[in-house]
Amino acid sequence: MNRRRVLTLAVGVVAMALASACGGGSGQTITVVIAEYSKDHTKPFWQGLAEQYAKQSNVKVDLRVIDWNSIDQQVSTMIQNNQRPDILNLNSFSSYAKDGLLYPATDVLSPKTRDDFLEPFLRGGEYQGALYGFPILSSARAFFYNKDLLAKAGVAGPPKTWDEFVETAKKIQATGAIGYALPLGPEEAQAEWAIWMWNNGGEWKAADAWTINSDKNVQTLSFLGDLANKQKVTQVNPGKTNRTDGAFQLFKDGKVGMVMGFSPLAAQLDKEGKVSYGVAEMPTNTGKSVTLGVEDYLMAFKKKDNQDAVKKFLDLYYQPENITRWITAEGFLPVTKSGLQQMSGNAKLKPYLDALPTARLAPTTDPAWDRVKVDVQQTIGLAVQPGGNPKEVLDQLQKNAQAAGGR
Amino acid sequence: MALLWLGPSLLLIAAVVVYPAIALIRASLGRYSITGLYGGFVGLQNYVRLLEQPALPAVVANTVVWVVTVVAITVVVSLGLAQFLNQRFPGRRLVRWALIVPWAASLVMTAKLFVWIYDYYFGILNHVLVRLGVLAAPIDWLGEDATVMGAMIVVGIFVSLPFTTYVVLAGLASIPDEVYEAARVDGASRWRTYRSVTLPLLRPALVVAIVLNVIYVFNSFPIVWTLNDRNPGFGHDTLITYMYKIAFKSAARDVGLAAALGIVNVLMILVAVAFYLRTVQWREVEA
Repeated sequence: MNRRRVLTLAVGVVAMALASACGGGSGQTITVVIAEYSKDHTKPFWQGLAEQYAKQSNVKVDLRVIDWNSIDQQVSTMIQNNQRPDILNLNSFSSYAKDGLLYPATDVLSPKTRDDFLEPFLRGGEYQGALYGFPILSSARAFFYNKDLLAKAGVAGPPKTWDEFVETAKKIQATGAIGYALPLGPEEAQAEWAIWMWNNGGEWKAADAWTINSDKNVQTLSFLGDLANKQKVTQVNPGKTNRTDGAFQLFKDGKVGMVMGFSPLAAQLDKEGKVSYGVAEMPTNTGKSVTLGVEDYLMAFKKKDNQDAVKKFLDLYYQPENITRWITAEGFLPVTKSGLQQMSGNAKLKPYLDALPTARLAPTTDPAWDRVKVDVQQTIGLAVQPGGNPKEVLDQLQKNAQAAGGR
Repeated sequence: MALLWLGPSLLLIAAVVVYPAIALIRASLGRYSITGLYGGFVGLQNYVRLLEQPALPAVVANTVVWVVTVVAITVVVSLGLAQFLNQRFPGRRLVRWALIVPWAASLVMTAKLFVWIYDYYFGILNHVLVRLGVLAAPIDWLGEDATVMGAMIVVGIFVSLPFTTYVVLAGLASIPDEVYEAARVDGASRWRTYRSVTLPLLRPALVVAIVLNVIYVFNSFPIVWTLNDRNPGFGHDTLITYMYKIAFKSAARDVGLAAALGIVNVLMILVAVAFYLRTVQWREVEA
């Protein structure tokens, strides 16, 4: 490229930047940031909703669909630069509420919408007694097993207790397959850990205090370490295996007998048709099976003169036909009573819908959780590697959690 | 008048270099909430806290190993490759084009490809090595602490080769035939010719290749991030991925602290490059 062309290009770029900075004209615009749940469904749905909204309200929507890997970073950058979104979809909310950035539900949701939320998700979105994190969708984990591998190992059905679980895993491993795929790598370790923790009677918190390093939890983490290093019934290096391209991939390929999955995994398995699988309750060590529910949120950011526009947008999304259409398309679970009713006929979703009322949520209502979560993701895998020390790892997590609460 | 012509470029430089630099310095002196909300000026506190991070020494050591190994091996291999591509042979054009591919492909895609090549259960590498009897059992290349860095370095070299080879190739093309003729007349052996004629005359090209590679490799995020994403903790991070983890993927979750590391990174690379140019006496080369 010669110099003149470079210059022309430079002028063009600057002109374009200026134009887009001043662009838009007179009408109001709201920025809506949505996490990408799937390439096929997320953008089309929200684009459609935004168009419908623009027609009804005369407010334009700057829709940004961002993938999960970079959404934390991009949102943080937006807030640093004082370009907050008006509406944000994320898996955490309480830090934003704590910073005073959000509208409470009473300001931006109609009472009808609010009353439609399922009770556990309503509670899961509260910060200091007010609803700030509006449930957008939910999911629940379930225990997946490969029917063929279980039959080959001579096991009649999925294990109900931890003892049965270990026995089953050993028998599957003896056939040459992998007993259980345990993903404790950084991607989603806190979810896998929470399910094992709860099914041994452990907790993240008791009352208001963190109990990450309780004796129960040390016992649970040692149990997981033993699965890997003593019984050797897991895949190689479970502390360094992620969920999506690790554990799920092995299960989808028929290499592993058991894994903890959720409805999107079921959808992939159905599509590929390679593995004959069953879905069951989590094995438990306490007699009462517990699963993990995950709630994602919509938040409304306080900005000058945006309250009315934001309220209208949220009302539109929460119209039963809209929210249910999207959740169904993505393969997730409802967060509203009306949605639960509409989706209850779906046989495929039955195991998850049944689990939903008793599913436990992560302590997302505590702003410290946003730090605890990534800390667990980055460290807990080290405890199940050869030579790992569960007690030490949990002690450090506990210490960090307590410090995070003070900040 | 000059300003009129320089204006757009100056504006661009201001927008893409000066402004971000100022923003980074400002961020490194501030306190930020986990949401990214600015919480006020804290002076050099972030820098002090940075030095207290227990993972820092290991991360610095990783970075040195990563940069030095990748750049050194890349340059040596590129010297050979360029020599080969400088010969006339049928299909040379094709080979030259093929060499561009790893350069043209996105780093994330290349890294993902290698994730699958290295995979314990599905990877072609284990499959081949076990079949050939080189290995008795597969190795979890990206999971074992002993092999992660080596596996990343191989990919780092793979993506650095095209650029480096082309710089050396350009250097070779600029060496006049007369000096080779003179060497031949003097009865110099081929190896002697290479050492005493080719290498010294390649020096400017090599200096450029090394400086740019040090900067690229140091700043390389996608390879280390993608190949190391399964490993908990900071045991195999370089300063660049560690910076990202401090900001978004660790208990710290602190943009101010990460910005402080960002500034330190820039200073480190400047010092390293200045030191290198000094030792090779860049000025002499120019003259």
